[in-house]
Amino acid sequence: MFKSKKSRTNRFAAVANQHVSVGRDSMLDSEYPFRLNMYLDPPTDEITIEEFEIFALDRLQVLKAIESAKLRNLNDEQFKKDVQYAVDKYLPMHSNTAFDLISERRKDHISHFVLRLAYCRSDESREWFLRQEAALFKYRLLEENVKDRSAFLESAKLDWHVVTAEQKQAIQNQLERCVPLKIKHNVKEYVEQQTYFEVPFEKVPSLVRQRAIYLHQGKAYVPMEHQTSLVMEEFTSRLESMLVATAKALPRLEEDDRLKPILLNVEKQYVGKVYGAEQVVDGDLTAANVDGAVEQHAPLCMRTLHDALVQDKHLKHSGRMQFGLFLKAIGLSVDQALLYWRMAFSKKTDDEFQKNYAYNIRHNYGLEGRRVSYGAYSCSKIIKGDAPSAGDHHGCPFRHFSSGNLEARLYKDKLLPNQVRDIMNLIQGSHYQLACTKYFEFTHPGHDRIDTIQHPNAYYELSVASAAETEQGEPMDVER
Amino acid sequence: MFDDFLSDDDAMLEKNLASVQLGTPDRQQHGDPLRTFKVTQADHDPVLLLRTFYQRLFPYKTFYSWLNYSNAEPTKTFTHREFSFTLANDIYIRFQSFNDLPAFKKEIERLQPVKMDLGAIYTIRPKERKTVNEKAFRPLEKEFVLDIDMTDYDEIRTCCTGGDICHKCWTFMTLAIKVIDACLRDDFGFQHILWVYSGRRGVHCWVSDERARQMDNESRKAVIGYMEVIKGGAEVQRKVKLMKILHPSLERSYKTIEPYFESLILDQQGVLDTKEEWTKMVSILSDANIRDQLNNEWSNNPSLSGAEKWDQLVQAVHQSRNEFDSITRDIQLQYLYPRLDSNVSTNINHLLKSPFCVHPKTQRVCVPIDPENCDNFDPLAVPTLMTLNDELNKLAMGTSDSERKIPDYKKTSLKPYIDIFENFVNGLLKETQRAKRDQPDHSW
Repeated sequence: MFKSKKSRTNRFAAVANQHVSVGRDSMLDSEYPFRLNMYLDPPTDEITIEEFEIFALDRLQVLKAIESAKLRNLNDEQFKKDVQYAVDKYLPMHSNTAFDLISERRKDHISHFVLRLAYCRSDESREWFLRQEAALFKYRLLEENVKDRSAFLESAKLDWHVVTAEQKQAIQNQLERCVPLKIKHNVKEYVEQQTYFEVPFEKVPSLVRQRAIYLHQGKAYVPMEHQTSLVMEEFTSRLESMLVATAKALPRLEEDDRLKPILLNVEKQYVGKVYGAEQVVDGDLTAANVDGAVEQHAPLCMRTLHDALVQDKHLKHSGRMQFGLFLKAIGLSVDQALLYWRMAFSKKTDDEFQKNYAYNIRHNYGLEGRRVSYGAYSCSKIIKGDAPSAGDHHGCPFRHFSSGNLEARLYKDKLLPNQVRDIMNLIQGSHYQLACTKYFEFTHPGHDRIDTIQHPNAYYELSVASAAETEQGEPMDVER
Repeated sequence: MFDDFLSDDDAMLEKNLASVQLGTPDRQQHGDPLRTFKVTQADHDPVLLLRTFYQRLFPYKTFYSWLNYSNAEPTKTFTHREFSFTLANDIYIRFQSFNDLPAFKKEIERLQPVKMDLGAIYTIRPKERKTVNEKAFRPLEKEFVLDIDMTDYDEIRTCCTGGDICHKCWTFMTLAIKVIDACLRDDFGFQHILWVYSGRRGVHCWVSDERARQMDNESRKAVIGYMEVIKGGAEVQRKVKLMKILHPSLERSYKTIEPYFESLILDQQGVLDTKEEWTKMVSILSDANIRDQLNNEWSNNPSLSGAEKWDQLVQAVHQSRNEFDSITRDIQLQYLYPRLDSNVSTNINHLLKSPFCVHPKTQRVCVPIDPENCDNFDPLAVPTLMTLNDELNKLAMGTSDSERKIPDYKKTSLKPYIDIFENFVNGLLKETQRAKRDQPDHSW
């Protein structure tokens, strides 16, 4: 596991300098023969505390650039440009030996592992880290030339069984049926020329789900064409399990006082803020103010719930959770919450309210049962979680509304036709959070290009902030 | 203590009650054997009948051997498994677990649940989940399950709706079993598959291979997605859109169902017999000219048989430049291919009704179905609590010692179904034993 560092001269650099004229190539070959890295083994050499921090922050810049480029739905060319810019600036990775390849690859290796420490702790941060690392890996995989890529993959021992010619012949017909649509002619040649891998179906869930490959007795027959898919699957699943393992080992590592503050600082950079998990909510929001605050500043998901609550004087359990925790996070104390919900559920008697609903409200504030103060739901939780069914109003409108209903709602909120179209296009591409971000931009004119919405409370806070600034007459800090 | 339990689960109660299928009210039909059960004599009091069932007929030992994946000492797959019960007064309790078979039997006989659901195997015994941190209580594995419900076929069956079934529409279920069973075995290599009658209008499937139990949600989603062909809600007419050349799995499935098209769909269901019905099929076509052409032709020639009308449809599609020939194949699939509820299958912690429950509305036992013999399964002949009780009463009082050793259920009409269950479990036990002997060779 990752050993602690000493804050003196980097011995490795001293050693490397010594060997610079003699064994540089061999060291490159043995330590870092490829640009690509599956990050299976942690670095074992020593580094300085400064390197520990700087490498991590530099890598973080690259990951954030990737996230940004991905979420802005840029075309391929623009995406590459943006990412390459960040890579060149913070984490250069050349293949030309004119550059100091060992240092580059070493930095890549170390920075990955430091970030692992920083991001392994919670489900959300792990998920975020996994997504960005996978995107970075995929970017680099695709940029690599065929020769180096194949060599790398071989070395990675991905233990894929290659289908022999005889085996292929036996299933020729079936393979031909599964050839990708774009190969209209010469299906037979395609099958004959492609290399096929035989892998357990669990390794390629997306290909199985789409019925894109031939499956027999639990084995999927995957053409080289889909190799990227296979590699990514492998990379992601390995990193996922390693992150969980790291989280388990973390308490021991934190004994090093020098590393702890650095890791905390790194973690803070990520907008994976948990909203509303404090036990005592010290807000100044009163029950009476909730309606106004929600109508003015809450995101569409919460306003939908609020509308339903006002209309039906009731919300089902999932809706109460999603909306209730949101309110807690914007500063509604437990007493004000009890008052608010009591007034909202006006058709219930006091007794019914006490019996069926009060307990749960208090539970959310950590005053009952396990005494855990729950955090408000993030966008990814709402989008991926428990889908609404009949009678439900929770979920993400951009994800869970039928397109007709969503469009109607957008028009109702006074969006223009071209704005509605923009949003619907994003929905087509399943970019729900981007759609919500766009919605924010359209409904808060003069404040464009905000970071993608990751959390309903982030939306709320941004809205409140923009209203405050509009009042003061100052433009928001917009990235150009 | 019970109070504390309920109030903590209060939040889940509403949600779970919604997911517990209590079914739609039955339609009154003459002499319909599935009509809501009525109490006629004190002797046939459903509560007493249920008690007798749990005391004398429920196959505890085999059931335990199944969930325990061994007939010896209790293992985690039994002790850490979630059971949930629906009791007589609609009380629903979750996260029950048992340390061994006697404890399980005792509780069932005490509670006499109206319904029992099986859940996942967790990291901690579900009964003890509150003793640990929330994050420490997670599901680890569960059988891969499927639920096929006849109400999903309401838009294409003409003989019954809702909770009713008859011999004509039951064929849809037979087909579903054939198609899915072949897919699970041939394509995925699963071997230990238990098909169970849900007691009223559908079937459940329990895939118990170790490999299936250990699938994560992503893999489950992949398996069910692979098998799904019919997509679209009420507003979508054409629900099957496949390429000209079918995937090998679909080719096999299509070959299985196609022979039934004329007899089941055209003749028995008569989907082209009335204008109201044939409009549903015709509206799948996108070419308005063909739609009008067929409508007119069929309205003006009421004596045409279903098969003749279908031939005309196929011809019209073939001649049209606006429709691919494959649409007729897709229509057949839309009418015959299994309709699956993916929600049941994709989440590892989804609860599903246990085999050998008694359906409260029909009083029929949820018995296993042998997929090899599913053509001969008759849901209307499945034993009810009443018939079983009568059979038990008829058993001679003075039985010989050797006869007494045979468990009661083997002397009733439940026997053939229990045999299917025992075969299934024995196959599993052999597999588990073999796996233990040769060190786990996971070289899939």
